[in-house]
Amino acid sequence: MVEALGDLLAKPLDAPSSAGIAALRAELDAAARATGAVGGWGLDEPLRLSKHLVTGLLRCPRRALSERSEDLGPSDDVIVGWIVDAAAKLATVSPRRGVTVDAAVAFLSALGDGSVADRLADLGPAAGPLRSDAAARIDRLAASGLSAVGAAWWPRVEEPVRVALAGGTVIVAGRIDVLFGGPPTGRPGVIVEVKGGRWYDGMRADGHLYALMLALRDGEVPASAVTIVSDGTTQVERIRPALLQHAAERLDEAMGVAARLAAGEPPAMSPGAHCQHCPVRADCPAGRTWRPGGAETGA
Amino acid sequence: MTATATGRTADPVGAADRLRLEARGRIAEALAAAPPGAVDDVYVGWVAAHGAATCPARYRGEGEHGWSFPGWSPPLAAGACGRAALVHHVALADRTGRAPALPMPLDAIRAWMRAIRTGGEAGAGGPPAAERSSVGDWICDVWEAGDSATLAAVAAHAGRWLAGFVRVLGWPLPPQLTLVGPGPTAAPALRWRPAKDSPVTVACGADARLGRVTGAGGFALVVHRVVSGDDGALRDRAAFEAAAGALAIGVVPGSVLITAGDTGERVTVPVDDDVLTLGAQRIVAVVAERAAAVERGFDPSDGTPSAACRHCDHRADCPPGEAWMRGAGRWQGGLPAMPAPTSPDR
Repeated sequence: MVEALGDLLAKPLDAPSSAGIAALRAELDAAARATGAVGGWGLDEPLRLSKHLVTGLLRCPRRALSERSEDLGPSDDVIVGWIVDAAAKLATVSPRRGVTVDAAVAFLSALGDGSVADRLADLGPAAGPLRSDAAARIDRLAASGLSAVGAAWWPRVEEPVRVALAGGTVIVAGRIDVLFGGPPTGRPGVIVEVKGGRWYDGMRADGHLYALMLALRDGEVPASAVTIVSDGTTQVERIRPALLQHAAERLDEAMGVAARLAAGEPPAMSPGAHCQHCPVRADCPAGRTWRPGGAETGA
Repeated sequence: MTATATGRTADPVGAADRLRLEARGRIAEALAAAPPGAVDDVYVGWVAAHGAATCPARYRGEGEHGWSFPGWSPPLAAGACGRAALVHHVALADRTGRAPALPMPLDAIRAWMRAIRTGGEAGAGGPPAAERSSVGDWICDVWEAGDSATLAAVAAHAGRWLAGFVRVLGWPLPPQLTLVGPGPTAAPALRWRPAKDSPVTVACGADARLGRVTGAGGFALVVHRVVSGDDGALRDRAAFEAAAGALAIGVVPGSVLITAGDTGERVTVPVDDDVLTLGAQRIVAVVAERAAAVERGFDPSDGTPSAACRHCDHRADCPPGEAWMRGAGRWQGGLPAMPAPTSPDR
């Protein structure tokens, strides 16, 4: 967790071997066929997975379904996360000395998402603490070196990637925050995921999943997944075969959970640290009794 | 129209002539259903064609913004700016007599923006002026206004388009590939109007052409999508672009190559009579629904529910959409909604 992005890209990066990609594809296709038979998915109505849904299904199926079903509205933390995310992308596509909150919000609006600008306008002067929080996080991101990456690395933001399994029975899709290199640049791919909160180990999974998806799409394994966090953490991880295998296993497991839900099984409630920020905790018996440190209260 | 044994249209020029004649007549019939002068601008691109075909009620309810060209925005300008930047990049290399190097997406976009802004720096050794275009004029306006957020958003979208196009098509670009864009080395935008004073503009969304246009046909239209949709719409897309392209060019293309940046796919759809007929139906349907909208506006009687209902502005006024959301629409992306007291209908 010590390597900065600039340091990583300044050194020659070995492209990992592409051996094993075909086997991973075959495993995932077989898993998608098997779970598709249980879940009843097909080309007309496939299972659509994103990084959030994969993590959500593995962490707490009840919360994952609830978040998809109800328009809960973004919390202030989420709004700050979106601003930080936009600031990182703006720094990537338009190198500048510093990115302000206003510049990041204007960039988001220009991209077609006016929801953050609307929210800040609705809050009026009450948005002050939120703005200050976002500004502090953007400042900490500045050290990540995103804006200093050379054009030869083909910086692109929100790189879309989509993989169809079992002929389209399961679709896994997402947008990589920032992608450097990869075909046809002649340089190995480097995935960057930007996180607006505080570092925790589970954040790594998103980069692993995207590495797997890029390998399946491009036939080349990216060299690294970098997680840049607004608490100042930069996590650089070389993509090893074991990481891809692990990502494939998570995907397989998520498909299994989804198949059981689609077949009518009630969603499991899996309390944990994620309950602290769960928008449906008030309606969740397991979540209400969960306390940090493992001491659950009596209902 | 006559098809060959392989399904391809035997007489690409004659087939295009007949298509123009037929489309002109059916569009005139469709417009005649509205009071004279009531339909003032109908932009028939793929988005409108897909919208009118999948839910006529929703298309009729879109209003002027949805019926006519909505004006440039960063997402909409991605392809036009990406293509223009690529054309400019190749033109710069041509001037030096060298083969063009692999373009750096963001640098290529910025170089093109500077060139249209300054008009290039004509003279010995200087870069050539970028050709004027509608999207280029818009970029100049945005620049004049000092709207750096929009310029950055354009760079993000257009850079992504350019990167995906080059990755999927390969570099060097295939021989005989001609980009659609401004300038003498590019193909002009593919537009067709049924008559000089017609309110209808049919816009083919092809990004490039593979092969020369000759009376024998055989060339392909290339349509690059940043993100793919479901394969069910792929043939529809190819049909629309083939018909719109044939109307604009006057020759039926041999095939439509549809690529996708997110999946890396390249799918070739041969153009035969069935494909052309389907495409023409999609084009005429847009005009018919636009004309019907004059009297009916949004009328949910033929609302056609789908996943699009989740984001539809008219859902609250649409009983079929509301009913779908309570039933099959409770399933989203292959999963049931919460809470699920009983297994809902699928």
